Amino acid sequence: QPAAKPAKPATAPAATAPMSTGALNNGATYVGEAVCIACHQTQNKQFTHTLHADAFRKNPQNELQQKSCEACHGPGSKHLSNPLDKANRPSLVGFTKEWGTPIAVQNNQCLQCHSGGNAMHWDGSIHSRNQLSCADCHNPMAKISVTGLLKKQSINETCYTCHQQQRADFAKRSHMPLPEGKISCVDCHNPHGSTTKALVKNDSVNELCYNCHAEKRGPFLWEHAPVRDNCLTCHAPHGSNHDKLLTTARPFQCQQCHGNTNHQPTLYNAGQIVGGGANPSTRAIGRSCQNCHSQIHGSNHPAGARFQR
Amino acid sequence: RAVASPFATSATGSGTTLANKESASAAASLSSDADWPAAKHTPTGQLLKLPLAVPKPDEIKKTASGWEYSGQLEFGYLGGDADERNAQYRMYQDLDEGAYLNNFSLLLKKADGAFFNVTGGGAGHRDQYYGLNFGRTNSWGLKLFFSETPHVFTDNYKSLWSGLTTGTQLLIPGLTPGGTASTAADTAAVTTAALNAPPTTLSLTRKRAGARLDVTFSSAWKAYAGYAVEHREGARPFAAVWGNNGGTAPIEIAEPVDYDTTDITAGVSYVRDLNAFNFRWTTSLFENKIDTFTFQQPFRITPQGFTTTPAAGAYTQGRFDLYPDNQSHNARAEYTRKFPDFYKSTLTAVVSAGTMRQNDNLIPYTHLAGLTLPNVTILPGGDWNTVGSLSRPTAKGLIETRLADLTFSVNPSADLNVKLKGRFYENDNNSDPYYAVNPNAVYVDADAATAGNQTRGISYGGFTGVWGRPLNDASGSGGVLFGTNPNPTGSVEIANHVYSSKQFRFGPTADYSLTNSANLNLSAERETTQRTNRERARTWEDRYKIGLVHRALGDSTLRASYEFAQRRGSDYVTAYYENTFSAAFIPMPTAVGTNVTSWAVRNNSGVRNYELSDRDQHVANLRVDTMLRANLDVGVSVQLRESRYPGAAYGRGKESGDSANLDLNYQPSAKQNIYAFYSFQRSRIRQALITAGNNVTLGVVSPLGVITPENAATLGSQPGGPFYSLGNSWSAKNTEHNHVVGAGVKQELGKATLNVDYSYSLGRSRITYHYGIGGAINAANAVFAGYRMPDLATDISYLDASLRFPFTPRLSARLVYRNQWEAIRDWHYRNLAATPVVTNNVNNPPTITSLDGGPSAYRVNWFGVMFQIKL
Repeated sequence: QPAAKPAKPATAPAATAPMSTGALNNGATYVGEAVCIACHQTQNKQFTHTLHADAFRKNPQNELQQKSCEACHGPGSKHLSNPLDKANRPSLVGFTKEWGTPIAVQNNQCLQCHSGGNAMHWDGSIHSRNQLSCADCHNPMAKISVTGLLKKQSINETCYTCHQQQRADFAKRSHMPLPEGKISCVDCHNPHGSTTKALVKNDSVNELCYNCHAEKRGPFLWEHAPVRDNCLTCHAPHGSNHDKLLTTARPFQCQQCHGNTNHQPTLYNAGQIVGGGANPSTRAIGRSCQNCHSQIHGSNHPAGARFQR
Repeated sequence: RAVASPFATSATGSGTTLANKESASAAASLSSDADWPAAKHTPTGQLLKLPLAVPKPDEIKKTASGWEYSGQLEFGYLGGDADERNAQYRMYQDLDEGAYLNNFSLLLKKADGAFFNVTGGGAGHRDQYYGLNFGRTNSWGLKLFFSETPHVFTDNYKSLWSGLTTGTQLLIPGLTPGGTASTAADTAAVTTAALNAPPTTLSLTRKRAGARLDVTFSSAWKAYAGYAVEHREGARPFAAVWGNNGGTAPIEIAEPVDYDTTDITAGVSYVRDLNAFNFRWTTSLFENKIDTFTFQQPFRITPQGFTTTPAAGAYTQGRFDLYPDNQSHNARAEYTRKFPDFYKSTLTAVVSAGTMRQNDNLIPYTHLAGLTLPNVTILPGGDWNTVGSLSRPTAKGLIETRLADLTFSVNPSADLNVKLKGRFYENDNNSDPYYAVNPNAVYVDADAATAGNQTRGISYGGFTGVWGRPLNDASGSGGVLFGTNPNPTGSVEIANHVYSSKQFRFGPTADYSLTNSANLNLSAERETTQRTNRERARTWEDRYKIGLVHRALGDSTLRASYEFAQRRGSDYVTAYYENTFSAAFIPMPTAVGTNVTSWAVRNNSGVRNYELSDRDQHVANLRVDTMLRANLDVGVSVQLRESRYPGAAYGRGKESGDSANLDLNYQPSAKQNIYAFYSFQRSRIRQALITAGNNVTLGVVSPLGVITPENAATLGSQPGGPFYSLGNSWSAKNTEHNHVVGAGVKQELGKATLNVDYSYSLGRSRITYHYGIGGAINAANAVFAGYRMPDLATDISYLDASLRFPFTPRLSARLVYRNQWEAIRDWHYRNLAATPVVTNNVNNPPTITSLDGGPSAYRVNWFGVMFQIKL
């Protein structure tokens, strides 16, 4: 039988809300972190080295933060009454599968301080709709990652635990410098929500790509329509079996659209690579179409209508 | 080891890590906290990684002045194949044999929250990084950072030039700029020079430095400001071509890169009670220090149409106008208001506005003075090597972007949340249209009835002059209307395309709690996109999605979703770009027997560009995370995706991608952690085209009827017509398979710590094609063509192992071993290393001079000993 539904929490109170805990933890009251530490010394050893501990203990900004352990776990008096009884777990907010606190209650605790700002669009984000808890990515109790209080050593490893397709993409021949540690998933995506699909941080895919590829921003005298429309028309952003993160091999990549006169609709084939036959073609060799149309992202040359200068 | 975000946050900007490949490896070998209680799981059911060993609170070291401190330094020596130069290996990392300072860090903290943190790694290498971060926790922090990232493109480039990273590249001795009278001799000389040239690495390095200040004024108000400068320098593979319509003597050159990008960001956020507000400003200033790039070329280019002095060998060099300087600014405001008394509702509104602009000086078509065309008279100031031959001197590019996003969230009951979302995004290209016209030139009277030059230009778009543009340093006149050919033509480009788009999206979502641990979500939305100057003025896509999350299926969490999307649109007009071709003012001839292909054919009218085409898409996702045992979790995920393009008889017709993944994590104790994973991906793209056939000639009886001026454009572009004969049809299918397996172990062996990570990635891409012999490929060539390209194959194996021995609590030694190899076969580059100059006839300029031998296999075994010293 499914457990009876607890009442949904009210909208997340802001950090400066009065210290009313309502029905949280079955109406428990605060006991202070010294009481917590008396039993949870191991956790305290780790917690002491976290950013949360520094903020709560050394420079709290409000009454809630001063509660330290109970700022996140809620008031602990009812937990103290029978701490080992599983039936008493609703008396304390926990952030593990084993503990069983409803996701909305867990996240509400985090949103007491972390609403707005970077998490302005958490509600309604794809992560929120998939009922992810903040604790599915973060562990604010322990020193697992150096920054971000993550559940894995790095941002990328944390994301990989659910996004295995992207992990496989980054293992391909051409990829973004993510496995090498030079960028992270969060350079492009805001896991806390965005107004742009795929949690992209900018207003559009192209505006995002220009963050690192500013030279391609233009606008150019001669524009290539799909390039201006969306970089992902031609590129697979995480990784590809093809050069330059392309979605398929050139010239077939370009021939998905270009069937005009002259050479565009020609079937370039195995007989036209070097050593493949008597008539090698520049369109099948090396950079293929870009052997001639080298300014494919746009040209600022007066003669560059075909992106050749 | 990644350290504090140097510049960006999860909401804005790039630059979230300071790390490199080796620092991550070092961090993986650190000991786990043996005191940590039994492994726990995330709310989804994934094992939480055990935390790192840290000192107990009373063991934290302190100075006499009260600063808690910790720090470490890792350095040592690398041997074996650490010097490997292969581009695939060194793509984004930089290692060498010899002494190596891998990483260091120092952290000081005080009881009042003050902190000081310095970190770095990869010292002296192209992937080095450094960070300095200080301030007071929860009050303010200032970050300073510097990071380098290499990007190696090839290590197998055979350079024929000096000064590869500069804006002027000169041919090496032995090669003649502009070639000689003997193309065969030039080809031989270039071949010899290329084969004898030492392999050169083409790469660039990003060097990024900056600062960011974060201030917490109160629990309600926060602000930040950041400034970063990135310098990119190096060279990357590039290419140039010559000739009448382009296509003559393509040659691979190196594009010099010398960029500076300045990023500025500042913002403020406010959260109090029921209101939250963000404001952010970003500016990005891009400067290309090599605005134009000149290179000498070694072949005799015969000017087609243009008359030059000297007549032969004039085309000694080419010139590119590289990426122009540009600026971008964006302002964004976000506001959320909660209405707890109105069904616990929330309103979120976002507005954003930005510009992207550039106004670079344009360069003339050629450096050659005195070029003439048979049918053109140059007026004073209109020489092709001057900006007087252009319709304007600068680019005048301007795009304005606007975003408005509104979400209203309401909870009609405790179990139901409903959101109404609306979004508008506009990419408004306000660049002035550019006309390819020489306003200081006129046509010689082509009727031959009037003696002497005529002051006669063609007027269009407010300009009068000679239309079109000399191609490729004015080595070809085919782009100039009536330049050499007095016959009218409809396909000369006379103006640019200015693309703008508007996107509207709206729809509801609903999230219903089925039980305490199960949720059902539904969404529907319509996305409408309006584009200017595209084949389709308007497309709309309807998406419907259903998702289920169940968190209590025993010890499992299930997430499943299915989405169906259908895109349709307004009429698809293949020949939309007529106003940018000479057909805009040169009417199609009407005389029987006239070849009107240049008016009639813009594209196969059955082709649909896939970003505009009708599309039916299905995406299904299933993911299960389960705790098999308290110390063992399993994750299984599957995605099936299929996109069909029902309106596309040609072009991309179908695309699909499926994947399946399995993850295992076993963590029996703080002394042992084992993981393994496997991913499978399969994707397919199907496409089709028709090879160009006969010209479209008025009066000819085509398979679709007699060609007339009235139906020429229809029949000419229609599959089955004179130009696109169905017998010339071909189709291709790209099928890709990828397998990635990985496994690793972290094992405490007494006082030693062993860490091993292994992965193997296999990628195969097979392109098969079907055609009619005698149609798309003739019988003689079909023998060589077969029915598929060679497989494009990559195999990558990676093994990283380290064994750390602590000698004392402060001193450890770490033995490091790396075995990494990659086998790669890319048919684009087959045999190119041995055949850099490909020619079908030695007396003609080469088919291609491809100087990049392409990616190649490598195998490295390197080892090292690293010493870790802790404070």
